[in-house]
Amino acid sequence: MRIMFLGTSSNSGKTTVAAMMCRYAAMQGISAAPFKASNLSSSWYITESGAPIGIGQAFQAVASGVIPQADMNPILLRPEKGGVVRFLKGQPRNMSDETAVSEALASFDSLSGRYSLVVCEGSGSPVELNLSGSDIANMRMVRERSIPTIIVGDIERGGVFAAIYGTWKLITEEDRKHLQGFVINRFRGDVSVLYPGIEELESMTGMRCFGVIPYMDLRVPEEDTSESKVSCQEGLRSLEDLLLACKDSVDLNGMLRISGA
Amino acid sequence: MRPIWSKISEEIEGELAGTRGSCPYHPSHFRNQDCTFCYCPFYPCNDPDLGEVTESRKVGKIWNCTYCNFIHRRDVAAYVHGRLRESRISGSEDPALRELFEETKMKFHRTGKAVMVLGATSDAGKSVIVTAICRILNDRGYSVTPFKSQNMSLNSRVTYGGHEISMIQDLQARAAGISRPSFRINPILMKPKGDGMSQVILEGVPAGDYTSADYYSDFVPGPGTDVLRKSIDFLQSRYDFVVMEGAGSPAEINIYDSDIANMRAAEAADADCILVVNVEWGGSYAYAVGTLDLLHSKDRERVKAIMLNNLKGEVSGMRAAADDIERITGIPVMGIIPHLDFDLPKEDSESFRGVKTLGRGRTVVVVPKFPRISNFTDLDPLLHEDVTVRFVSSPDEMEGAAAVVLPGTKSTISDLEWLKATGIADRILSLKGKVPILGICGGYQMMGRTLSDPFGTEGGPSESEGLGLFDMETEWPESGKKTEIFEGTYIPTGDRITGYEIHSGLSKSYEGPMLKTQRYTEGSLRADEMLFGTYVHGLFDKPCFRRHFLSKAGCALAEEAVDHDEHVEKNIDKLAHGVMNAMDMEIFNRIFSEESL
Repeated sequence: MRIMFLGTSSNSGKTTVAAMMCRYAAMQGISAAPFKASNLSSSWYITESGAPIGIGQAFQAVASGVIPQADMNPILLRPEKGGVVRFLKGQPRNMSDETAVSEALASFDSLSGRYSLVVCEGSGSPVELNLSGSDIANMRMVRERSIPTIIVGDIERGGVFAAIYGTWKLITEEDRKHLQGFVINRFRGDVSVLYPGIEELESMTGMRCFGVIPYMDLRVPEEDTSESKVSCQEGLRSLEDLLLACKDSVDLNGMLRISGA
Repeated sequence: MRPIWSKISEEIEGELAGTRGSCPYHPSHFRNQDCTFCYCPFYPCNDPDLGEVTESRKVGKIWNCTYCNFIHRRDVAAYVHGRLRESRISGSEDPALRELFEETKMKFHRTGKAVMVLGATSDAGKSVIVTAICRILNDRGYSVTPFKSQNMSLNSRVTYGGHEISMIQDLQARAAGISRPSFRINPILMKPKGDGMSQVILEGVPAGDYTSADYYSDFVPGPGTDVLRKSIDFLQSRYDFVVMEGAGSPAEINIYDSDIANMRAAEAADADCILVVNVEWGGSYAYAVGTLDLLHSKDRERVKAIMLNNLKGEVSGMRAAADDIERITGIPVMGIIPHLDFDLPKEDSESFRGVKTLGRGRTVVVVPKFPRISNFTDLDPLLHEDVTVRFVSSPDEMEGAAAVVLPGTKSTISDLEWLKATGIADRILSLKGKVPILGICGGYQMMGRTLSDPFGTEGGPSESEGLGLFDMETEWPESGKKTEIFEGTYIPTGDRITGYEIHSGLSKSYEGPMLKTQRYTEGSLRADEMLFGTYVHGLFDKPCFRRHFLSKAGCALAEEAVDHDEHVEKNIDKLAHGVMNAMDMEIFNRIFSEESL
């Protein structure tokens, strides 16, 4: 079982939606592990083996009730003087894109072997035409392991239909078969005003809307925020509040179904 | 013969004057206007394309030319000047003058070219780009006006006619060099009141409260559509260019047909469009392509260029992306605009939501962050001095306060209850006499003894006890709202204050006044206890009161006494240059061409 969440931009809420999935699966008694092939970050969590992983994956692991481990985020990109340095499970490694992909796949396969569900998260937008490297964490993983995929769009700034449609459109026709649906994140107000737009988008793309997530002031551990560290306990409370708020508006069972459950 | 004709005769005998920037009346209409004719030889032309009849308190009905720029166009002034010189027109009664007017209008009057700036999201940078374009075109000598049919904001301004418009359109009008903007540049202003309700300001006056659903089902098809048409016609017949701003994204397919802020406005004005995409968050291809694809085909045809905005990295890294976007969409990218460093009032309360402090000076000015805070741009000029403005939501955050400013609010009584519940109110009372305390508008009303809103003008009917810092009562009458420009002085120093008032509550104060005009006194002042209160917004803009107030807070004043209006003016120029340098001016000139007029 596997599922991928891709974002229409950075900060669209992929990490939180993946954490929701992890938590929900754990509540159903499904052993789940998070996975993000590669992560650009300047803050990380140090796993028991000593290898750092992204804060987001560490939190998702806690949400799943499993121990954070290096395979959950095998490749870290650290911005340093003179460019970005690639780290493989804690070690600086000068490697080609192809090596990075096979290392990431090895980590994914290892998690797949040990857990019933791997909840994957992409990086940034999957359709940054000028950044071929971003493909490693996004469509390349999806293609290599045929991962059922959901696009996460953020409605807070508006333009969410355009963002989801544009992302779908720019993914090649061959790859689109993996795109199962989308969710709309950070919505305020009466959800019924969205229905005509959602229906139109569903019929234009053939993707299904898995739900609308209401806006909440979440306190979850996040990357790249220097101020006020949030504890995992606090994060879990926030996440459970969010799950409760999404009880009727987000079809998490449906997501489990497409993941192969 | 009208006595004015002798002045006009002098102008006819004189040389072509062009722009006369040194004249005390310049610009009576727009910056860089042609002043060959200070008095219009055709007055009163009675032509509804140019002027309108207005009621004046002193002289009754008069022909009003406030928004007519026709005689101040360079080509028109030169032509009329030449024709009047060669003709033997004897005066304003001469029928040949009317003939000349008709002929000139036929020859020169035109519908202004409209261009709309659309955004793929809110916060894309639309309003900033409109500001820059207005300044660039006005620098070229054109008469240009901004326009946004519908804006949602709690920051508003008052026009000379006493109408309320959004702060950002007022700023854009300033960039366009318009001396007195009309309410028609922003005919619909929505002020969110909470719980999904908004107060709708229609043509500058309150027109009721609407839920989002009622707004789209009732307001838009009726008054909304009428006013859109009317405003656009008015502006297009008076300005060379109408630079329109969209709202949010134009591709919200759930409300596409009832969205009068974007493509329906573009259609009404037959506008070319420029799509602005903020590249900061990534996904800009998807946003650009998705937005264009979701537009109806006739709407998509209007989009003539794309702008990639707010780039924080190297422009060269984005060039390949721009080429891809051009290839995929078939629409040229007219600019990759870097993240620009300029200081202008910001529109969006979305981006304000997370703000905790402004500036990093030594003197801490504490401002309670009311849930319905409004007109908070009042505080911007404080940053010209050694000040940190700290927005607080709890009394603990007030440690080290050297001054307190209670800002405006959309709902005074409910925000006063918030102030008491948080404990901030008690902390303010404990600071009385120790640090200067200023209340502006809603914040001023809170400083009184009692507040009473029996008709529920600002929410449900309610009464409340104020902070009691002033012996003052405030009451909200059943209807009516004061919206007026204020021009007067600060009584203790005699310095000039200009600002504006927007409020529906009225206060009866038994304290000494703080400000005065030639007609009345305003506000409350207890100098011994350093308590200041006024309805006037913008009073920190001029250095005098700002520095007087801050000196009471023990603030070391900056060497230079900065006039905030001049500061804004400089930053508009800075922004316009930044945008111009990053733009393909060939594409810009094609869109804003003389031939298109």
